[in-house]
Amino acid sequence: MPRIKIDHTKCTGCRHCETACSLNHVANTVNPRRARIRVMKEEDQYFPVIAGPFVDAACTSKQTIVIGNQTYDMCALCRASCPQKPYFIEAETGIPLKCDFCGIPPNPSCVRWCNTGALELVED
Amino acid sequence: MDGCIGRYLRVNLTEGKHRIEEIDPRLLEKFLGGRGLGVKVFTDEVDPQTDPLSPDNKLILASGPLVGTGAITGASCNVITRSSLTKTLACAKTRGHFGAELKFAGFDMVIIEGKAETPVILSIIDDKVRILPALEYWGRSTAETEDLFKKNLGDPWVARETFLVSIGPAGERLLPLANVVNDRYLSVGGAGTGAVMGSKNLKAIAVKGRHSLHVADGNRFVQVVNTMINKLNSAPLASQSMTQWGTAFLVGLCYQKGILPQNNFRWASLSLKNVGTEALNSAFVLRARGCFACPVACIKKTVVKHPTYQGKGMVPTYLAIGALGVNCGISDLSAIGMASMLCAEMGLDPVAAGGALATAMELVEKKVLSPEELKIDLRFGNAEILIQALRLIATKKGHAKRLGQGGKALAESSGRPDLFMGVKGLSLAPFDPRAIQGMGLHFATSNYGPHHLYANTFFDELLNVHENLDPWEIDGKPGLVKRYQDTSAVMDSLGLCNWPLMGLKFNNYVPLVNSCLGTSYKADDLLLIGERIWNLERVFNLSAGFNSSHDTLPDRFTKEPISDGPAEGQISRISEMIPEYYHLRGWNEKGEPPPETLKALELENE
Ligand code: SF4
Ligand code: SF4
Repeated sequence: MPRIKIDHTKCTGCRHCETACSLNHVANTVNPRRARIRVMKEEDQYFPVIAGPFVDAACTSKQTIVIGNQTYDMCALCRASCPQKPYFIEAETGIPLKCDFCGIPPNPSCVRWCNTGALELVED
Repeated sequence: MDGCIGRYLRVNLTEGKHRIEEIDPRLLEKFLGGRGLGVKVFTDEVDPQTDPLSPDNKLILASGPLVGTGAITGASCNVITRSSLTKTLACAKTRGHFGAELKFAGFDMVIIEGKAETPVILSIIDDKVRILPALEYWGRSTAETEDLFKKNLGDPWVARETFLVSIGPAGERLLPLANVVNDRYLSVGGAGTGAVMGSKNLKAIAVKGRHSLHVADGNRFVQVVNTMINKLNSAPLASQSMTQWGTAFLVGLCYQKGILPQNNFRWASLSLKNVGTEALNSAFVLRARGCFACPVACIKKTVVKHPTYQGKGMVPTYLAIGALGVNCGISDLSAIGMASMLCAEMGLDPVAAGGALATAMELVEKKVLSPEELKIDLRFGNAEILIQALRLIATKKGHAKRLGQGGKALAESSGRPDLFMGVKGLSLAPFDPRAIQGMGLHFATSNYGPHHLYANTFFDELLNVHENLDPWEIDGKPGLVKRYQDTSAVMDSLGLCNWPLMGLKFNNYVPLVNSCLGTSYKADDLLLIGERIWNLERVFNLSAGFNSSHDTLPDRFTKEPISDGPAEGQISRISEMIPEYYHLRGWNEKGEPPPETLKALELENE
C-alpha cells in the first residue's frame, strides 16, 4: 500500500504543500485552512501533519511527547480533526477534512510540490 | 484581478479609526499590486516634502497579487514610506510568512496614517481590526514582542497562525538606522522604515485570517508551478548553493573577484580563510527555512554556541557577513552571526549599522575622531566592541547616539564627509562598485539607495547565469542595470522573491502570472509596468529634493583605484555610463523624465 512518508527534519516550513492541497480540492482556490495537510510549528521544528479521521469528542487527557530535550504538545502533532482544535475543518461549511491521497492512483499534490524531500510517496 | 483580495485597510492612528476600502481594478492593471500599487498610493497621498517622522508621513504594507497563491516564492510584502535615513522613498521587503498571512487576513494592503498618542499594536485577527495598547511591549526586542503578543493571545492555536512585523528599541528611539523586522528574526532591509513606524508609536502589526484566494486557471497554474520547480531544480546555484548556505555562498565568489570590500572599502584581499562556506558549515548547524511557498529555502536558522557568543536566530547572509563582518575587518563567523542576530532583535538595519560602524572605525584610525570622543574603542577587527556598539546604538546609550545617526551624519559632523561610503545617506551594500561596474551604476542611480536587491545585476556580472558579462567592463551595463531595475520592480509588485532568477528566466514567470491572475501579459508588458513604477518613484524623489547630482558614488570609488587583490587598479566608471543610462531611460541630461517619457508610460497625470 502506498504511504506518504514524512521526514520532519527536512521540512523548511514553506507550506507549499498546504497550497497544493487546497488547490487540488477546491477548484481555483487557495487557502491553507482548507488544506488536508498542515505544517505545525513547535519550538524550532516544523511538523507536516496530514489529516486523519474525524473524531467527535476530544481526548480527555492531554499528552506531551519528549524528543531530545524538547517537549511537544501531542495535540499539535495529532492527525485527527477534532472539536478541540480548529484544524482540518472546512472553514466555510464546517465539514471535517481528511486526506484522500488526491484520488486513485495516488498522486498526492502535496508530495509533488514539496521540494525538500520532507514528503515522499513510498510503497510498502 | 484574480490573486488579489481587492481590499485594503486604512488605519488612522491619530483618530484610532480604521476603514476598509476597495482597490480600483484599473490601478491593479497599471501597477500590478505590491510595490507598484503601494508606491502609487503613497505618491498620490503624501507630499514629497513631508518630514518622514511627522504624522503626515504614511506607512504602507502591500502584498502582491501572487503572494499566498502557491506561486513559487510568492511571499513578500513591501513596506513603503519616506525613509528617515535617506529621505527618499523607501521600499523594504518582508520575507517569511507575514505577507501571505496579510492576504489570508483579508487585505492586499494596509495603510497606516497619523500617530498614536501612546504605543499601540495593530491587530488584524480573524476579521477583527483592533488597535491595542502596547505599553508593556515598549522597550522589548522584536523577538520578545512576538513571544509576548502570542502569549497574550491566550490561545495557542491562534498564536500558531499569527504573524507579526515589529520594531525593536532602535525604531522606538527613532534612529534613522532602524528597520522593521518580521517573523521574529527577518530584517526587511530598509533603513529608516523602523523609525517611521516608531514615530507613529506603532510597535507591531499582527495578522491572521482564513480568507481564500482565487486563482484564475487552477489546472494550468498547477502545471506551471510544477514546471518551474523542475527548472529550478536543474539550476545548481538556486537549488544547491542557495539551499545549502543561503546567500552566504556568494562571499567566496565575491572575494575571488575582488568585489568583497574590507575595512570600509579600502582593501579587497586581506587573508580571509574564515568566512567561506566551509567555515559556515563548521560554525553553525544550518537548518533550512523557507518563506511561504518557496522551494529554495535560503533562510538558514541556527543556534550559536560559542564560548563568547550565544544566541538563536539566523545564520548571517551575504549582506550581514559583508557589512557587519568583513567590511569592519571581522572574519569570525560566530561573532558576525551574533551581530546580525542582535540587529534583528534590536531592529537595526545591518547594512546601515555596519556602514556607520565602518565609517567610525576609519575616522578613529585616521585620528579624526578619538576613541575618547566616541566613548567606545572602535577598531577594525574588534568583534566584541562591535557587538557592544550595536547594543549601545540601539538603546541610544552613552555616546553611541552619534553613531546612531548613521555613517553620513557622523562623517559630516567630523569634517570628513568623504569617509562615508554610501549614496543618498545609505551605506553601500557590500559590493565594491569598482570591481562590478553595473552594480556601481545601480548603486548610484537607485531610487532606494545603494541596495543590491533592487537590481541583481550580479546574476550576470558575477554568476553569469543568463549572460556572460565581465564585471570590470562597462559595455552594455546601462542596459543591464535598467533591465534588472525594472525586473525587480515587477517582481516586488507581484510579491515574488528575486533570488530564483538565479535559475529561472524572467520569461518563465509570464505563464505563472497569467494563469494565476487571469491576465494576458507578455514579458515586455510586465517590464513596461516595472519601468512605469521606477519612473514614478524617480518623480517622487525629484520632488523630494533629489537630482542628478545625487546619482553618484563617493570619491573613493571614482578617484582611488582598488589597491590590491584580483581587481587591483579598477576604478568605477559611472560618469561614462550615466549619460547612456539616462538616455535608455528616456530622461534628459538632468536625469528628469520629460513629459513625452511620462506620457509613454501613462504617467502624465502624476
Ligand atoms: S512543502 Fe515540504 S518542506 Fe514545505 S512545508 Fe510542506 S512538507 Fe515542509
Ligand atoms: S529564495 Fe530565500 S528569500 Fe527568496 S523566497 Fe525563498 S527562502 Fe525566501
